Amino acid sequence: MMEATNAELYRLVLTDAPYVIGAYAILWIAFVVYLSMVLARMMRLEKEVDLLESAVSKRSGE
Amino acid sequence: MSSWRQFKAILKKDIVMELRTKEMLTSMGLYALLVLVVYYITLSQAGADFEVRRIAAGLLWLVFIFTSLLGLNRSLVHEKDQGCLEALLISPTDRPVIFFGKAVGNLIFLLIVEALIVPLFFFIFLARPGAQAGGPVWMLALALILGSIGIAGVGTLLATMSVNTKGKDFILAVLFIPIMFPLLLAVVAGSAAVLQADPEYVRTFWQMMGLAAGYDVIMLLAAFGLYEFVLGA
Amino acid sequence: MKQLRTAIVLVAIGGLLTTAAFLMAFFTAEVQQFGTVTLEQEVDTVFPVAPDQFQPPAGEGIAYVRPWFSQKIFYFHVPVAEASFLVLIISAVFAIRFLTSKRAEFDTKSRIAMETALVFVVLTMITGVLWTRASWGVWWEWEPRLTTYFIMMLMMIAYFVLRNSIEEEERRATYAAVFAVVAAINAPISFMITRVIPSNHPVVFQPGMASSNLLPFIIGQIGMLMIGYGIYTARMTEERLRERVEIAKEALEG
Repeated sequence: MMEATNAELYRLVLTDAPYVIGAYAILWIAFVVYLSMVLARMMRLEKEVDLLESAVSKRSGE
Repeated sequence: MSSWRQFKAILKKDIVMELRTKEMLTSMGLYALLVLVVYYITLSQAGADFEVRRIAAGLLWLVFIFTSLLGLNRSLVHEKDQGCLEALLISPTDRPVIFFGKAVGNLIFLLIVEALIVPLFFFIFLARPGAQAGGPVWMLALALILGSIGIAGVGTLLATMSVNTKGKDFILAVLFIPIMFPLLLAVVAGSAAVLQADPEYVRTFWQMMGLAAGYDVIMLLAAFGLYEFVLGA
Repeated sequence: MKQLRTAIVLVAIGGLLTTAAFLMAFFTAEVQQFGTVTLEQEVDTVFPVAPDQFQPPAGEGIAYVRPWFSQKIFYFHVPVAEASFLVLIISAVFAIRFLTSKRAEFDTKSRIAMETALVFVVLTMITGVLWTRASWGVWWEWEPRLTTYFIMMLMMIAYFVLRNSIEEEERRATYAAVFAVVAAINAPISFMITRVIPSNHPVVFQPGMASSNLLPFIIGQIGMLMIGYGIYTARMTEERLRERVEIAKEALEG
């Protein structure tokens, strides 16, 4: 298979390229989307915790 | 009371109850018959020269997998509704004994249904004039027994969990079928080898039976070890 | 918030490593001889097939010898797949620790590990399907390796279906742990059983593998494991926050 002409090689590369690069892109898009969802949820929880815990300490202070 | 006697008592309870109500066997048997009717509808579209024998093993196990889902669910819903499992837990019965008692009970019911369905399946779909001969019956019986042991053992564990969930039978199917996959693959391949009796089929058969037996041993040990936790929860 | 920073750093380093592996796959790795694929029959494909002089002798199946580009997926598809197995096993280990100790933290750890594993499994499926399309010309083939992996994904989804259908906390944790252990025992059996049936899936790890192939793979694998640990840490931080919210709510109500 090593004696393939350059034209042959390029043709094979070009037909396969969208799938390989697409796969890598999907992998990273998925990671980023998943992690930003986790982060967004975390920010919301953070706010909730601050609010609730200050309310708790206020109540116990009274 | 020795473990053996406890085991016999649990088994006897299931069998006596079944003899009285005949609920499990009638529902499982009737369900299996209905599946055969659906098979007829499917195969009637395949044309006269279609060789049912080629897919017979898969069809046969399909009946048993769905029938056993029904039976396993039934068997443990009974236990739960009548508070039997709680009563057993309070009694000084060893927990492994409860597992084997239930599993063997389920195995017996499944084997009875299989003993009824296999001949019926044979006469309806396979016994044609000029049909090729399959391998010996005891080989098919061995495949059925090995498959049923795995189904009853793992099924008892999973059904005990699924009856305590909201989805019950749906949850059982979702848990049970993927876990059964390797066993099903092995026994279907083994049964198909016997039914088709191609040259060299004996070697394939024993290879598949070895795999099925390995699965049974590993999964039964796992189910046996984990059952205690399921009962405790 | 220290944990969150750890998670972000882990994912960032993992990202750098996997990207490095991806680029090395194209610029330094040599063409592999092992990753080529032979299909028993011709499959329906819209792609031009490798030229005749590369095909095996007639009667020995039609080779899709297209290793030049599609094999580059090896450097991130396989790391994700192996990471998914490892995380599944870690989840089962946490499940066993929960069963022996009955401490709720292990249940949470087992669940989060299972979730991370499921993310990896889904990504393995997606990258794998794209490779299959490029290399075999079909999106999906009921082929042993693909089938068992699909079954493993179903088991992981079943784990979450099971969790969602139980309300009492201790029972949910116990049943989920039991199922996680059963699933982790079952996955290798599935793989072993289908090994008996000949498979089309390429086996790349063979003696004589070039070091220019091995190096990017190892870098990619380490990067992927770091990403996995980063995801796990981030989700654990989120769960801890959630617990704090629950405790504070109870304190306010009670």
